[in-house]
Amino acid sequence: MSFTRPAGIALMLAMLGAPLAARAEMPTFQIVAENGRFTPETVTVPANTRFRIEVTNRNAGPEEFETSNPLKELVVAPGVTRSTVFPPLQPGSYPFFGEFHKDTAKGQIVAK
Amino acid sequence: MGNALFIVWRESVEAILVVSILYAWIRARGDDRIGVGHLWAGVGGGLLLAGVLAVAMLGLQSQLAGDALEAFQAGIVFVAAGLITHMVLWMRHHGRHMKRELESGLANAAGGASAALLAAIAVGREGAETVLFLYGLGVEQSGEALRQMLAGAGIGFVLALATAWLIQSGARWLPSRLFFRATEIILFLLAAALLVSGVERLINMEWLPPLLEPVWDSSPLLSDGSTVGGIAAAFAGYRAQPSLMVLIAWFGYWGLVALLGRLPKRAAA
Repeated sequence: MSFTRPAGIALMLAMLGAPLAARAEMPTFQIVAENGRFTPETVTVPANTRFRIEVTNRNAGPEEFETSNPLKELVVAPGVTRSTVFPPLQPGSYPFFGEFHKDTAKGQIVAK
Repeated sequence: MGNALFIVWRESVEAILVVSILYAWIRARGDDRIGVGHLWAGVGGGLLLAGVLAVAMLGLQSQLAGDALEAFQAGIVFVAAGLITHMVLWMRHHGRHMKRELESGLANAAGGASAALLAAIAVGREGAETVLFLYGLGVEQSGEALRQMLAGAGIGFVLALATAWLIQSGARWLPSRLFFRATEIILFLLAAALLVSGVERLINMEWLPPLLEPVWDSSPLLSDGSTVGGIAAAFAGYRAQPSLMVLIAWFGYWGLVALLGRLPKRAAA
């Protein structure tokens, strides 16, 4: 018991630490939602690499950052920054939009 | 207005469809151990859950809190997938001959609670987004624009009810036995879809590795962004570019259902 407990704690720390390490080295791109639009409207990412999109919402109300290919939905409350991880993308252009401001909040991720 | 109409229609129709399928399944079973009353209690609880989830999403001010909510949402879809599977399999095996047994009181409570919880999760999950959207409208719009948007939202909800009604009445044309089988299969497909969305959340939080992604790309054939692809994604767990982990979960689920569906029969024989 006295041996297994420290081992268990070490294992737990390792499990907690691994995602944090992965988080640090992943390419990350910022998008700001403001006045029902996204800035920048074109985000260029490396192809065939997992990457992270960080969305900061400066709208008065909530926004939902969404892509349909690949399927991603990220609800962001006003004044908050949240992120989501994208799978490796083939070279090409992938549109994104703001579900709650569909007429104006549009953009694209370009994988090169 | 068009946007508000479409969002409310799409979100409500998903929840209403799940509730209709449960309703049809309860009715088609033809006994009253799981009552329609349980379902409505669940819908009520679901509306409450939608409100609570929406408030929680608005209140989240950090990535850590966001991850906690994400984990909670992954948790409820796994619970829902498990409940569906358990409920359908259990009813299949014990449905006919347990009617007069003493345990039927307990069975009634358990089955009814499962149905209620499922309805609550379906309504809560889909409803939370609608609540957030309507809240955003209230904050960002005013006057005539707000009135038009709210009218659009109202029409969207009515259209969702009409869509569900159309499907329900269309289903009456099917023989009841066939219809019952169909609802069972739809419920299993729905459970698989929930499982896939839960696994994706865990991958997104880096709690699970994607292993290999994508295994294939069928988006030229059927993109999950299209309307049909979206329905296939929500009700069957279809992904145009699935990761190996998602495929393992999806096929593993059907393997498990096939195994569990067979085991008690062998024990009875």
